Amino acid sequence: MGRRSLLLLLTWLTCVTANSFAASDKPQQVLDLHYGEVLFHFYQKDYFTAITHLMVAQEEGLLQHHRHESELLLGGLQLSYGMLDAAESQFHRLLDSDTDSALHDRVWYYLTKINYQRGHYQKAYTDLQSIGKPRDKALRAELALLNANINMGLGNNAKAAEALKKVRAPEGWEEYLKINRGIALLRAGDIEAGRRVLDKLGKKRASTKELRALRDRANLGLGYELLRAGDPEKAREYLNRVRLQGPFVQAALLGAGWADAERGDYESALTPWMKLWQVAGHQPAAQEAHLALPYALAQMGDGKRAVYYYEQALGYYDAEQQQIEQAIEAANSGTLISLLSQADTGTSGGWLNDNPTLEGVPSGRYLVDLLSGNHFQEGLKDYRDLGYLATLLQQWLSNIELYYDMVDARRLAYQQRAPRIRERLEKQEARDLQSRWQRYEAQLDAAGQANDPLQLATGKEKQQWALLEKVRQKLTALPDEPRYNTMRAKADWLRGVLYWQMQSDYKIRLWEIRKQLAKLEPSLLDTVEKHQHIDSALESAKAGFDGYDARIEAMRARILALLPRIEAARGNKGQNLQHLALDELETRKRRLISYRSQARYALARSYDQLARTAKDQP
Amino acid sequence: MRRLISGLLAGLLVWPLLLPAEPAASGETGLKDNVQTLKKQVLELNRDLFMLEEDLLFPSNTQVSVFVSLDVGDFFQLDSVQVKIDGKEVADYLYTQRELDALVRGGVQRIHVGNLRTGEHELVAFFTGKGPHGRDYKRGATTKIKKGLGPKYVELKIVDQTKNYQPEFDIKEW
Repeated sequence: MGRRSLLLLLTWLTCVTANSFAASDKPQQVLDLHYGEVLFHFYQKDYFTAITHLMVAQEEGLLQHHRHESELLLGGLQLSYGMLDAAESQFHRLLDSDTDSALHDRVWYYLTKINYQRGHYQKAYTDLQSIGKPRDKALRAELALLNANINMGLGNNAKAAEALKKVRAPEGWEEYLKINRGIALLRAGDIEAGRRVLDKLGKKRASTKELRALRDRANLGLGYELLRAGDPEKAREYLNRVRLQGPFVQAALLGAGWADAERGDYESALTPWMKLWQVAGHQPAAQEAHLALPYALAQMGDGKRAVYYYEQALGYYDAEQQQIEQAIEAANSGTLISLLSQADTGTSGGWLNDNPTLEGVPSGRYLVDLLSGNHFQEGLKDYRDLGYLATLLQQWLSNIELYYDMVDARRLAYQQRAPRIRERLEKQEARDLQSRWQRYEAQLDAAGQANDPLQLATGKEKQQWALLEKVRQKLTALPDEPRYNTMRAKADWLRGVLYWQMQSDYKIRLWEIRKQLAKLEPSLLDTVEKHQHIDSALESAKAGFDGYDARIEAMRARILALLPRIEAARGNKGQNLQHLALDELETRKRRLISYRSQARYALARSYDQLARTAKDQP
Repeated sequence: MRRLISGLLAGLLVWPLLLPAEPAASGETGLKDNVQTLKKQVLELNRDLFMLEEDLLFPSNTQVSVFVSLDVGDFFQLDSVQVKIDGKEVADYLYTQRELDALVRGGVQRIHVGNLRTGEHELVAFFTGKGPHGRDYKRGATTKIKKGLGPKYVELKIVDQTKNYQPEFDIKEW
């Protein structure tokens, strides 16, 4: 099995396994709502939004209870979003601070992973030594897997197999650990031990689509390894286990045919190869089957059918070559780039799940096939991320115009309304009312202390009292005669009655007025408070537009500076992908040309054989 | 002919597990760095724009945010949440499986952000979902929230009631 193929398989496995060391699957206890909000986006793999929310919450000091975790999470998010450099600096910053041992281990885990992803295996290995032994089974398994991958990267395959041997696999991990161990053993040259491990895995019942694919892959890999090692009998056994409905069926059919052919059983080889021949796809296995099938027939001595199928193969290769040339032309003319644009989904991050549509694209299946390939996906991810960033900034740019309008409207409204409001406020109406109320209250207190009913007399009573006072003064000046004495007595009686009336109502009046004043007090205080509110609101309303112009303009300038750089980077990325695609298409074309020339050569030989046979016959 | 077999096999053995890309060209590394730098700068700008927008649209003295979180067992599956403030519907949200998974793992969703003047307001919330045996659930809760000068955060937590194991709202003001 090719060294690079194994490495790729391992990378794939690392990607698909759950990253339990970094983020537990158990529900998190959230003590700051905003931290929970970051997790909400993180768990949905919307890394861009998660990072933005995290940065905002940090800036606004809203992560008091998750300070260290949020720093670690930020690094993890940056790593997931492809910002390896930023993630590395973030993790180193965390190591500098006063961190506990659990956090320390997680940080070293991430740093190890970054170096592993970069292909700096030696550095990754050194970093790995700084991680303490975790208690959790799942974490130990994850570390062992990382350890094994690094060791394989360093070429220490035996060490890698050893690292995986001792680990007890938690639920859901067994298959991943086994396939990695099997591969490590094969690469270390211990074919028998590797076979035993992969054999067990290949026979296991798989409950999920992912595990079934993994099982197929183990059987396929083992089958080809045994074929290479010269054991076609066993190879056939493993290749037979690959599901016909699975994604690896074509490779398995081709290998099965070669296993039969290696044993000299060309008749048996015809069955899988014929199946592949009928598929007539553009995958390398199907292409190779067009050459393998007549080869088997020729070996069986069926020259006529061999000639027929070699001729068919030549026609097929010509047609496929034409298709590839069209695909190359389409890639050169920018069709690939427009297919790439179809991959824009308007969301940040993530892999391309759906292939772009092929309507009207010449030889589109070749191009889409290339885009789906693992080595294109990384580049395509960057291309899509850049597309998302450009769209996002365009949206912000149109929002910026709205913000300007909003601020202008606020400023205008303030300029129109503020003078009138200020004028009313300056009249201090509420304050005057409050002073009057206070005066009344003081008067009432004084009246209460003086116990003088006249102070609470009604207007009419006051008039009557003044009139009686006047009458009394006049009567006092009159001579002492019975007629005047009677009048004086009557006036005194009237004064007495009036005074008695006022005196008897005095307490009720005092209580009534106190009640009225008390009733007035809350509304009066409310009015004063509102007055103050309006006063401060008038001041703070200015904050709704003051200073925003400069802030908005600065943002606009930053957007305008970034947009062309993003477009240029996206253009470069597209070109880069195009070059990769063209290289890949050229490789496929060369392979087709090679198949074709082999088919032509074999056809000529078959014609010769037929001619000789015809001549030999009487 | 033997050479034909080995020639074909040599090709075969490499491709079945998918060929890796050619080693990255030197220009590729530079491009990658550039993409990283751009991502970093856009994220910083996005943060600042986000804060500007919040300051403009939802100033802290009037801002009210409503969050939804989940703390329920395996037997309840949330479908939707509806929120009304002072009789006006401010959110009606249908959840995707991906969002539900995020909530179950401890994620908190900001379902509404808006403005309210200081004082007391009525918040009414409903949620719908499916319980054991696909039984439909709809529960509601009403609460008075007091808006002060700073931003107001309200958490609508859907929890299992210990007494009857049925999900209910637990409303918390932060």
